[in-house]
Amino acid sequence: MSQPVVDLQDIVVTYRAGFLGGEAFDAVRNVNLSINEGETLGLVGESGSGKTTLGRVCLGLLAPTQGAMRFGGAPFGKLRQRRGQLSVVLQHSEWALNPRLRCGASVDEPLIILGVNAEERRKRVAAIFDSVGLGDGYVDRYPGQLSGGQRQRVSIARALVTEPRFIVFDEAVSALDVSVQAQVLNLIMDLQQKYGFGALFISHDLAATRYVSHRIAVMYRGEIVEDAPSERFYGTPDHPYSQMLMSGLA
Amino acid sequence: MSALVEIRDLVIAYDGGGGETRGLDGAELSVASGETLAIVGESGSGKTTIGMSIGRVLPPEARIENGTITVDGVSVVDADAEALRQLRRDRLGFVFQNPMTALDPTMRIERQMIRAIGGKPSRDAIAVLLRRAELDDPERVMRSFPHELSGGMAQRVIIAMAIARSPKLIIADEPTASLDASIREKVMETLGRLREENGASMVILSHDLRLVSRHADRVAVMYGGRVVEIGQSATVLENPAHPYTRALIAAAAGNEKPGQRLEPILGAPPVLRGQSQKCAYEPRCGFARPECAIRRPEARPVAARAVSCHFAEEVAAATGNMWKARTG
Amino acid sequence: MSVAKSIAAALGRLMREDRLSFLGLAVLTLLVLIGLLGPWLPLGDPTRIAAGPRLAPPSWAFPFGTDELGRSYLPRVVEGIRATFLLSIVAVTITAVVGSFFGMLAGYFRGVTDHFVARGADILFAFPAIIVGLLVAAMMGPGQVSAVAVISIATIPLFIRVVRSVTLSVAGRGFVTASEVAGATPWRIMTVHILPNILGAVIVQLTYAMSIGMIIESTLSYLGLGVQPPQASLGSLLRQGSAYLTIAPWLVLSAGMVLSLAIMSVNLVGDAIRDAIEPLKGRALK
Repeated sequence: MSQPVVDLQDIVVTYRAGFLGGEAFDAVRNVNLSINEGETLGLVGESGSGKTTLGRVCLGLLAPTQGAMRFGGAPFGKLRQRRGQLSVVLQHSEWALNPRLRCGASVDEPLIILGVNAEERRKRVAAIFDSVGLGDGYVDRYPGQLSGGQRQRVSIARALVTEPRFIVFDEAVSALDVSVQAQVLNLIMDLQQKYGFGALFISHDLAATRYVSHRIAVMYRGEIVEDAPSERFYGTPDHPYSQMLMSGLA
Repeated sequence: MSALVEIRDLVIAYDGGGGETRGLDGAELSVASGETLAIVGESGSGKTTIGMSIGRVLPPEARIENGTITVDGVSVVDADAEALRQLRRDRLGFVFQNPMTALDPTMRIERQMIRAIGGKPSRDAIAVLLRRAELDDPERVMRSFPHELSGGMAQRVIIAMAIARSPKLIIADEPTASLDASIREKVMETLGRLREENGASMVILSHDLRLVSRHADRVAVMYGGRVVEIGQSATVLENPAHPYTRALIAAAAGNEKPGQRLEPILGAPPVLRGQSQKCAYEPRCGFARPECAIRRPEARPVAARAVSCHFAEEVAAATGNMWKARTG
Repeated sequence: MSVAKSIAAALGRLMREDRLSFLGLAVLTLLVLIGLLGPWLPLGDPTRIAAGPRLAPPSWAFPFGTDELGRSYLPRVVEGIRATFLLSIVAVTITAVVGSFFGMLAGYFRGVTDHFVARGADILFAFPAIIVGLLVAAMMGPGQVSAVAVISIATIPLFIRVVRSVTLSVAGRGFVTASEVAGATPWRIMTVHILPNILGAVIVQLTYAMSIGMIIESTLSYLGLGVQPPQASLGSLLRQGSAYLTIAPWLVLSAGMVLSLAIMSVNLVGDAIRDAIEPLKGRALK
């Protein structure tokens, strides 16, 4: 039995409107979730359902109002102490990479932050470009010279270069063309086989999520209303909201 | 059924850094009165160029090199600025991908609706129009600025504007791509219902095959600036006869069985520098033979649709009923 | 070599497609060159009294005429260009550094930092530049340092607002989040990711601040709170000339026209830079 890499216990996130006091609203309510090494958990729901907020909690960017996040069996602590252990791949391929940096420099950055020496960094950057199916030629290019699918490959390379234990994919394939989407989804699955990271795949697209995930959690108004193996979502899931999402796939 | 839109041998070139590229390479398309036609294809296939050429809504670097576009009897290629304006205003309605950028952020919806309708419409007339687009509280919507509306509501406002002058043709460019999955279907239903009430035709530009299969009577598949396969949606999507159509379906998540691997289309769409002398899909095609690299395939009828492929019969026979087979 | 070529190409394009901006750039370049080379140009000594008759109209010997002390006005205007540009550039550079720093802090950290920086900028913004000018001049005495201080104080709030808002939008982009998750320090994020991406907006704002700076400098000098005689700035020349407006209008006209040209050319160049940075605004349905 593999270890949970991320373990969320009774997470509540409350947003307050205004500077002091103001109206409070629970974006995430009593969420319990755990993600194992080598496992992908899909998180689906509409915008405003709290899935992005939950993703930020898993990345340590947002401290939950209540509850605790454990990472690799220990309390999460500070993001800076966890550097190299987790990463993220985001939507909007045109803004996922700093347009002023060459792709190689973007991928290099997590290693610089980790304090890896220059020689080693150069080797690892070259190797990871190879792993995501981009040749040497891409290291010196700027993001503006790349297609959406290529930019997303560079984003994945940047996320993987430190060989983290956990990666969040937030709408990572939503902006891509169908054929490119399939390439990137296959790449994510192959890389997971190779590196064994745990993953949270956040998307409003149930079809892509079902394809790439082992388990799927359905979020509705801040709560997880269903958490089941992906196979359930090829048949009839339990919760009425899940069934409604499924109807879009018929 | 007479044709509302006739596009013949259309060639559109783009001037850019590094020379001229072809967006359309001899595209042919007709849209019948009252029908819904979907145009599908990857980015760069030419689907947006052909869709927008109907109203000649093209970027400044685009140039029509050859061909004719006839919309409701008007020759769009030869029309002067005033004729074009009239055509767009009175006979075409546009629905764009992102309603938030299509609406003016500095203006209340009421004023934007007045502009779309033209003249001096009464508040009631605006409210009726918004209600037809299934906005339940038109008074509140009229008072709102675009940022105060949800994406779905904003798109319904855009739809209300598009049908305001009872157009003969609605051009919808990825109308639900920016919306949540849970409301896409309802917005498409609204759009379809309003099209029917107006007796208008509709052209949907989309890469969502599932949406297309449900809402379009016919589908045109674009590749390399040409329509490579066109026919009834059910016919084309259930039993594709062009290898590219087949590959698009095989690449889309949603039709696979648990554990089955998607087949991405390898390589990238071509960048055409001039007229393609061969089959533009040949470098990526699994069915390709030597002949494909030397002769440009012309559209021909195969199994109840038009296909531009030398080996369409073979492809149709090999694919069988893929939509059902994969979901079944 | 290739840089020179691409600059030449850009200039050529500008000349063909946007004559007005090209004209602005040409005038600005000319003024800056004149200002820089002023002391070495064979125009005569700007401070030499009784170089000619008093309040003489323009002639070949004195192209801009002479003032009430018989000083040739052309070298004085050139010195004025030099002083006005120099003071504005120094002040606006201070503004750019201070304003970008606080604007980035506010936009990146948000929350309490933003609250304090934004309120501070609002308070500064609430005082008209002239009131600030009187206050500073009263405390520090009139002169160049006061003028620089007043221009900076007047333009910093504008700068903070613009930098803050562009920082807010850049800070929400994916590459910033990815860098945060990788454990980057705020310093790294601001210098590597945010600054290079807001530089365009900063440069545009710089040109606007520059024209505001020149107006403020002239106003202060006109009121006698800026550059002190015998040194000249465009503002002090206007003040000096205005006393003889009816008998020697060429004094006010020459200084005023040069000042207007300077401000207009700076604004035109600013607009051109903005257009180059946001080329696609409002182009969809043409």
